Amino acid sequence: MLILVIISYSLLAFFEFRFLYKQKRWNDFWTNTVLSIFSLTVAILLCLNVKIPSPAKPIQNLITSIFGK
Amino acid sequence: MIKEQITDKEAICLLIVFIMGTTLILGSGGEAKNDAWISLIVSIFMFMPMLLIFSRISSLYQGKDLFDILIVIFGKVVGRIISIIYIWYAFHLGALVLRNFGEFINTLAIPETPMFVPLLCMGFVSIIAVRLGIEVIGRTTTYFLPIIFFILAVVLILSLSDIHFSYLKPILGKGLTPVLKGGFSIFSFPFAETVLFIGVFSALKTKKSPIKVYLWGMCISACVIILVTIRNISILGNMLGSFYFPSYQAVGQISIGDFIQRIEVSVSMVFVFGVLIKSSICLLVACKGIGKIFNLYDYRSIVIQTGLLMVYFSYFIYDNIMEMKFWAFKVYPYYAFPMQVILPGIIWVLAEIKVRKDAKSS
Repeated sequence: MLILVIISYSLLAFFEFRFLYKQKRWNDFWTNTVLSIFSLTVAILLCLNVKIPSPAKPIQNLITSIFGK
Repeated sequence: MIKEQITDKEAICLLIVFIMGTTLILGSGGEAKNDAWISLIVSIFMFMPMLLIFSRISSLYQGKDLFDILIVIFGKVVGRIISIIYIWYAFHLGALVLRNFGEFINTLAIPETPMFVPLLCMGFVSIIAVRLGIEVIGRTTTYFLPIIFFILAVVLILSLSDIHFSYLKPILGKGLTPVLKGGFSIFSFPFAETVLFIGVFSALKTKKSPIKVYLWGMCISACVIILVTIRNISILGNMLGSFYFPSYQAVGQISIGDFIQRIEVSVSMVFVFGVLIKSSICLLVACKGIGKIFNLYDYRSIVIQTGLLMVYFSYFIYDNIMEMKFWAFKVYPYYAFPMQVILPGIIWVLAEIKVRKDAKSS
């Protein structure tokens, strides 16, 4: 599963980034790089069955503490 | 780059599907029980002023979307901070919509497949739709909407034999409070989410149309939702609150002459299409916002990564379906209130002042 994720991300990077690099759109290129590093990290964590903290619980606690249930 | 344009008709269709989308899956007005249809009418009246504000904002600045307007009004720094709030809202809403769909598929259609598979498939379709642009989404919606209305009408006619209007009966039996609470929940769940359309209506072809589009879209979709809610109540009666997906269960009751049975699959096609359009619009607005913040040449280059992030986010946002239902009806209205009511109000007041000032000075 992990290998599949890495292969698909590298394919994606190859096809997407080469185009942006050739066109010299640096803003697009760097934003895309940061976003894809972020999403690759999340994908690998999901593959390894790590429990990622969800923002739903804190928001729920905040709102129930203000307005009651 | 050619500017993308959609006609009024396409915009109205988009708005209708956007509002109907997840409301048909999850049902509406859970607090009000058998008065849910009254709370729908109440929520329309609650939404009316917000509708005027939204359409006024998008007609004050022609051809500019939400994030342009924010930067024009608040300046570069504050405008970008508020843009980040709206990007987060669009992103989160898209993830919630995808999650609703995933839970629906996972509970009823294919329980043994991991939920990630339907989420990823739907995410891919949304990514492709957004990469193709708003024009394609608009045209697809215009072609599919008659089919959706046809399915809904046929199902309504077939279910006539199971309808018991006596289930509606103690009208306002528990007083006005639950009706108002349900009205507030409906106000924020399907209706006021259309604040995201300020980010889309920069593509409108004609000048004066936002208010027309908003009014027609809201009227038609509200009629459809009211009809569907009345059908659900009068088929299921007291059991309405005990189902996660009331529309699906209500249609499942239909059985005519022992051979027209189990037609709920036809309704789930409506659900799938609604979810597709809704998540595409959310993804589109989020990508446009990110593009505006970082001064990108084109928002299309980041669609794939943002869409994948949205799919992952929707996968780990809730632990189970009970949490999702609680969140959607109890927490979400208060969570979304600042983005839906307070910020648009501030933007509207400042926009009016700014437009007057600019007209005076020039």
